[in-house]
Amino acid sequence: MAAPSTPLKNTVKGYATYMGREGHYAFLLHRLTGLGVLLFLIIHILDTSTVYFYPSLYEHAIELYRATPFMLGEIGLLFAVIYHGVNGLRIAVTDMWMPKRWAIAKQRVSVRVALVVATILWAPGALVMFYNMLLHNFHIDLLAYLPFGK
Amino acid sequence: MASKIKPSFETTAWRWMRYSGILLIPLAWFHVYLQDVIVGVHAINIDYVAVRLADAGWVTYNFFLLLFAFAHGMYGLRQVMFDYVHKERTRRIFSILLLIVWLVISTIGAIALAMGARPELVQ
Ligand code: HEM
Ligand code: HEM
Repeated sequence: MAAPSTPLKNTVKGYATYMGREGHYAFLLHRLTGLGVLLFLIIHILDTSTVYFYPSLYEHAIELYRATPFMLGEIGLLFAVIYHGVNGLRIAVTDMWMPKRWAIAKQRVSVRVALVVATILWAPGALVMFYNMLLHNFHIDLLAYLPFGK
Repeated sequence: MASKIKPSFETTAWRWMRYSGILLIPLAWFHVYLQDVIVGVHAINIDYVAVRLADAGWVTYNFFLLLFAFAHGMYGLRQVMFDYVHKERTRRIFSILLLIVWLVISTIGAIALAMGARPELVQ
């Protein structure tokens, strides 16, 4: 006999096997980015609060954010905040003003538009952050390699 | 007719997620672009925060960010929890736990914003 199903098991199995179309992937990415930003935000509010509650600790907290793995994470965080926002706007606008757009064929388009818009808004910031990371953590100045650079 | 029916808590909350989300686009995006891209973590220290938190405008800005981003996120977490927890009693217990976590962390954040940084205490 099959093991009894639980909500959690159904979800995990569903996520792994349901060949969802665009709308499903957008839902997953929206949820993942929302939860990721929330996790960061909880830590962020607490570490920022040390400026008042425990000033000597603040410098150590910021020191962590400057490490290479964290800076890579911040580039991801930037994408998460932007994608979640663009897709959230898509959800809100569709819900409130044009519910007909929830039709699967229409969503197939709007989900892709959201992904492209988010990538365009993210890329310039990501480049600057990557440049800063190489500059501060590896002493590589990418601008020096440009023909019209320094 | 429909307008006479008092909207339920869940309906109000559903709207709140959408309105707060739209407000968060300028608030959160500008904050992250400013702090993480334009200023950058290598230029942020307690003196930098002290100068900003001495400015009533930035304190207000941060206060709204704290209120909207964190409430939106915690309510979102409650929705995610409802997808996995179906027993009414367990849902209520988790909801109360989330409410307490939200209240405690919001209060800590709000106190820090209101009081400002104390770089003179760094040793
Ligand atoms: C940048 C602007 C933002 C917009 C436009 C936005 C929009 C939305 C919308 C419309 C929903 C409801 C989705 C649904 O009912 O299907 C939602 C859910 C959620 N949001 Fe946001 N949001 C934003 C920022 C944030 C931030 C900063 C956080 C983290 C603190 C966050 C965390 C969440 C979470 C955890 C959920 C629940 C996800 C789910 O139910 O799958 N959001 N957001
Ligand atoms: C890694 C990227 C980020 C950096 C470097 C950063 C930096 C900072 C700094 C330096 C402060 C201190 C106050 C000030 O200078 O105005 C602050 C406060 C704050 N930030 Fe961020 N931030 C980042 C991402 C975010 C994100 C993604 C959110 C929300 C979704 C957020 C929400 C807040 C809030 C609510 C406060 C006030 C905290 C308190 O109440 O003590 N930040 N941030």
